[in-house]
Amino acid sequence: MPNEKLAELNAGQFSEETIDDLLRRSRRSFNNVLRSIRRPEAALGIVKSPLGDLLVAVGGHGLLLVHYLPADKELTALIARLRSFFDPVADPQTVQEVGAEVRKYLAGEAQALHQRIDLSLVTTSFQERVLHKLQEVPRGAVVSYQALGAVAGVPKGARAIGNAMHNNPVPIYVPCHRVIAADGRLGGYGGGRARKLQLLRSEGFALGKADEKLPDGVVWGHKGTRIFCRTDCRTAARVDRTKIMFFADPGEAKHAGLRPCKICRPA
Amino acid sequence: MPGAKLRLLPLPFDEIMRRHERELMRYLLRVAGNREDALDLFQETWLRAYRAYPRLEPESQVRPWLYAIAVNLCRNRARDSARRARVIVATPKDHSAADKLGRLDRRTCGNDGYAAIRFRELISALPERQRDALRLRYFSGLAYGEIAAIMHCSEENARANVSQALKKFKSM
Repeated sequence: MPNEKLAELNAGQFSEETIDDLLRRSRRSFNNVLRSIRRPEAALGIVKSPLGDLLVAVGGHGLLLVHYLPADKELTALIARLRSFFDPVADPQTVQEVGAEVRKYLAGEAQALHQRIDLSLVTTSFQERVLHKLQEVPRGAVVSYQALGAVAGVPKGARAIGNAMHNNPVPIYVPCHRVIAADGRLGGYGGGRARKLQLLRSEGFALGKADEKLPDGVVWGHKGTRIFCRTDCRTAARVDRTKIMFFADPGEAKHAGLRPCKICRPA
Repeated sequence: MPGAKLRLLPLPFDEIMRRHERELMRYLLRVAGNREDALDLFQETWLRAYRAYPRLEPESQVRPWLYAIAVNLCRNRARDSARRARVIVATPKDHSAADKLGRLDRRTCGNDGYAAIRFRELISALPERQRDALRLRYFSGLAYGEIAAIMHCSEENARANVSQALKKFKSM
């Protein structure tokens, strides 16, 4: 600082004690203010799975997010969006628990996923309701968009169901891969069709890599009568399509508490 | 792992506060010239910083980001209080630029000495951008690159602003 006027700066300097004192004073009142606007914290990390790498977020109330890892650019945008909902923290252990569970499940070593789910990233109450209803579809079964719509109170809202599936923050855990087209075609999937097929295969459906439709071995079960039939049963023409669910095989249907049809004798 | 080269997590906000609060307080004390205003600016800066925190990218530099918030806040405050002073105190006799800040009374200036008051008078007579650049350079000792990032200009521009401010200063 060449100029003497600038040297005067030093005359106006506040002592370190003043700064200490002010910082102390500030902390006392300010921490309360900050606490009141604080976003919740969530562990954020990447885990490996047979479905590819997953971005996982776990908050204090449970699993917030499972996302098939996108390209870096998209990932940056995604994280920016997420950070307006929570402050990410490093907690590899919590995140890895999710990874371990997903790996076990896909390997068939575990029959169910146990993490507590927190749907607070879902923005509309309708979508939240749909995702809650979807959790009732068991492993080894699939429903149609139409049937799920009927259950959720929108019998003509198959498209809306599709949107809810698209906005599902916790795929795999909330099984949006178990929702297919009403005519037995497999429909799309946010993470790509290959992943949907892979998930359904691990849950007992005999699907090939390029299959477009459900395999022949499936049976459909009626929720009201609690009876399951072969897909070619002659009662099929009369049945209310919004009340049925497809099972991978008769075993799965029995497991879900249904009895075989006496006309087509599926088992 | 494809995401490995990308830093996933930003610095935790508490860590940012811990690292920068002292430096920021020092800067704001020298800008405001008294404890009460500095404290107020300090808390408001951190509140704004927390609100802007989701937009702070993990790779980006924290220091320029934080200073940019502080500098903008100080500038807005100075403008506001100048506007207010103009409405309330309608005595256009002594119109030194320092009065626009409305708070250069010796009593309110804490341990600021007379020299500092005079200095502040001089510095507040500078054009806005030159003043900001000068403060950042000499109150907090930031690099020109950082000043450029804070003021959204080129490094050359930051350098020019500081040197023009100094030149005016010497001629005053």
